[in-house]
Amino acid sequence: MLWLCIALPQLPLEALRSEETDRPLVVTACEGSARWIVCCNSAAEHVRLRQDMNYTVALALCPDVQKLERSPAAETAALERLAAWAYQFSSTVIIGEVPLDFRQARSSALWLEIGGSLKLFGGFRNFIAALERELELLHYSYQLGIGPTLEGAALLARAGIRVVIPSPAALQLRIRNLPIAQLALAPEIAGALHTSGVRTIGLLLELPRAAVIKRFGVALGNFLDRMIGAAADPRPVFRLPHRYAARFDFEFEVKSTEALLFPLRRMLHEFAGFLRARDTGVQHFTITFAHRGAPGTALDIGLSLAERDANRFLALVRERLERFELPAPTIGLRLDADQFAMPAALQADLARGALQQSEDLAHTIDRIAARLGAQQVHGLRQVADHRPEASWAAAPLQDSRDNPQFPERPLWLLQEPKPLQLSVMPQIVAGPERIEGGWWDTGDLQRDYYIVHLSTGADLWVYRDLGERGGWYLHGFWS
Amino acid sequence: MNRAETLQHLAWLCRNGRAVTAPVVEASGWTELDAVLPGGGWQAGTVVELMPAATGIGELRLLLPALARITGAGRHVTLIAPPYIPFAPALSQHGVRLERLLVIQAQHADDILWAAEQSLRCRSFGAVLAWPATIRDREVRRLQLAAEAGGSTGFLYRSVDAAHEASPAALRLKLRRADSNGLQIDVLKCRGGRSGQSVKVAAPCSGCA
Repeated sequence: MLWLCIALPQLPLEALRSEETDRPLVVTACEGSARWIVCCNSAAEHVRLRQDMNYTVALALCPDVQKLERSPAAETAALERLAAWAYQFSSTVIIGEVPLDFRQARSSALWLEIGGSLKLFGGFRNFIAALERELELLHYSYQLGIGPTLEGAALLARAGIRVVIPSPAALQLRIRNLPIAQLALAPEIAGALHTSGVRTIGLLLELPRAAVIKRFGVALGNFLDRMIGAAADPRPVFRLPHRYAARFDFEFEVKSTEALLFPLRRMLHEFAGFLRARDTGVQHFTITFAHRGAPGTALDIGLSLAERDANRFLALVRERLERFELPAPTIGLRLDADQFAMPAALQADLARGALQQSEDLAHTIDRIAARLGAQQVHGLRQVADHRPEASWAAAPLQDSRDNPQFPERPLWLLQEPKPLQLSVMPQIVAGPERIEGGWWDTGDLQRDYYIVHLSTGADLWVYRDLGERGGWYLHGFWS
Repeated sequence: MNRAETLQHLAWLCRNGRAVTAPVVEASGWTELDAVLPGGGWQAGTVVELMPAATGIGELRLLLPALARITGAGRHVTLIAPPYIPFAPALSQHGVRLERLLVIQAQHADDILWAAEQSLRCRSFGAVLAWPATIRDREVRRLQLAAEAGGSTGFLYRSVDAAHEASPAALRLKLRRADSNGLQIDVLKCRGGRSGQSVKVAAPCSGCA
């Protein structure tokens, strides 16, 4: 087994906020009455704020620092989204537990078994390049480590060692000189080790295991065994869900659409990763904007052809958002999809040109429908009904049609027949054609249709109502 | 070298030695009209302005032979912001394949132009018909560029008042009813051909045979 660990040191911050800001921003957690910094952004680090610093001290150093409350639930949600994304690279994905103790909050990680995937991706270099190219689109701070055990790979990732360490023996050799702090142990154990003079991992491993267990507890002993591969490390493997439901909760209200695009971009890239992992595409998904104290706003995104391109998804969502006023500030996002279909682009390699055309057409129609509304873009079909207003219908573009036969009909039909005030009888060119029907539903009508010619040169389709209403009406143009 | 060869050689020099593929032309289906149009029909990659004197004189029927052939050949046609309901039975009677006809409803002037531009750029559309509420020079030029990029023909229906204004469209036709049943077409502008001509096409209203 060869494990790739993706360590996410900034997850407490990045699970709450996906874009960079220039203002100092920290994630904090409470312990008793004291509030501690868990994670800072680069602007906060620049003004010398550090993790594990008391928030009161931080306020003294930088009065205008912005504070977010740590949310392990948001971190778990982010890890699960990331796991679904990572499934495209490996069928064995393991989610690290999100540590509840805020002092270990920066050690969240995710593992992929890559021994079986390397060949598929054409070697180690290609695999890492493909993974990083995708990972960078998600805008997480990450470190990669590749080792023979889960904890070993995580340690290599935290230490910033990117060399592949294939065997437990090589691992022991490589980590010997690393400081104890890299192990991300519980703070009291790390403190106890420090006071007893154990400063490097090598020293700790050389100590008799029985003595370590006696002094520092069974947990540490087990941890070391699992790390160096002396004990098995069974963990539940992440299973790809059948329906996709991802959420992203903000710790603050987002008012501008522009600011929503950052988290949306990440979510859609993760979604695209999930689709690749399942080797499928999607024709329809829903994005729900959660509001405080108001029902969420759902945005249905439909595509004419199944797709899994995050940039296309984003373009469509963006087009919709630009023409759409959210009723209230947004405090969270949800993405749901439960119907998947094979993307058309992968279905056939034959007839490449024809396919590109139909994709191009589908993209154009989607774009227009996204801006103008789906019901504004439609095809036409005939209906076997003699009443003119019932003999046509809007229809989806690719629809199998039956072709009822009608007498000659004008090209333009008016939405509503328009009453005519006739002072002189116009020149009748053809008619009458009697149309009766509709007694079976509400639209009962009896009409005599004529084609009349006006002095302006126009040919009109008019009828005389034979029913109760009576009178002459304009119903179409022979354009 | 005779005169014709000299001219060809000059043209070749002007193109910098590059071969120019002949523009794709879709015959309009009316022999009299094809005779005056450059290339013998509607040129792909151009914008055509049509200015009918009134509704109902046959201004849409003029395009139907071409639309029937375009949809029959597997390309799509879109109608953007049509003034009335495009009546499916009539379109079908004229040979238009309804499964390749798209109708786009739009109210705002900028939406209409935007949709027209998007459709013109898409290579799947053979013809884009639009009824813009208002349109300025600059916007016609944009559509012209989009048509060149997508290789489709844009047909803009404008009011007859626009005949007095200048426009960058490649072809501008004023339509009125001929005295005897038919459509009189005045060629106001014709890139690559002669303007100022007037032809009559026999387009009898189909119901009054």
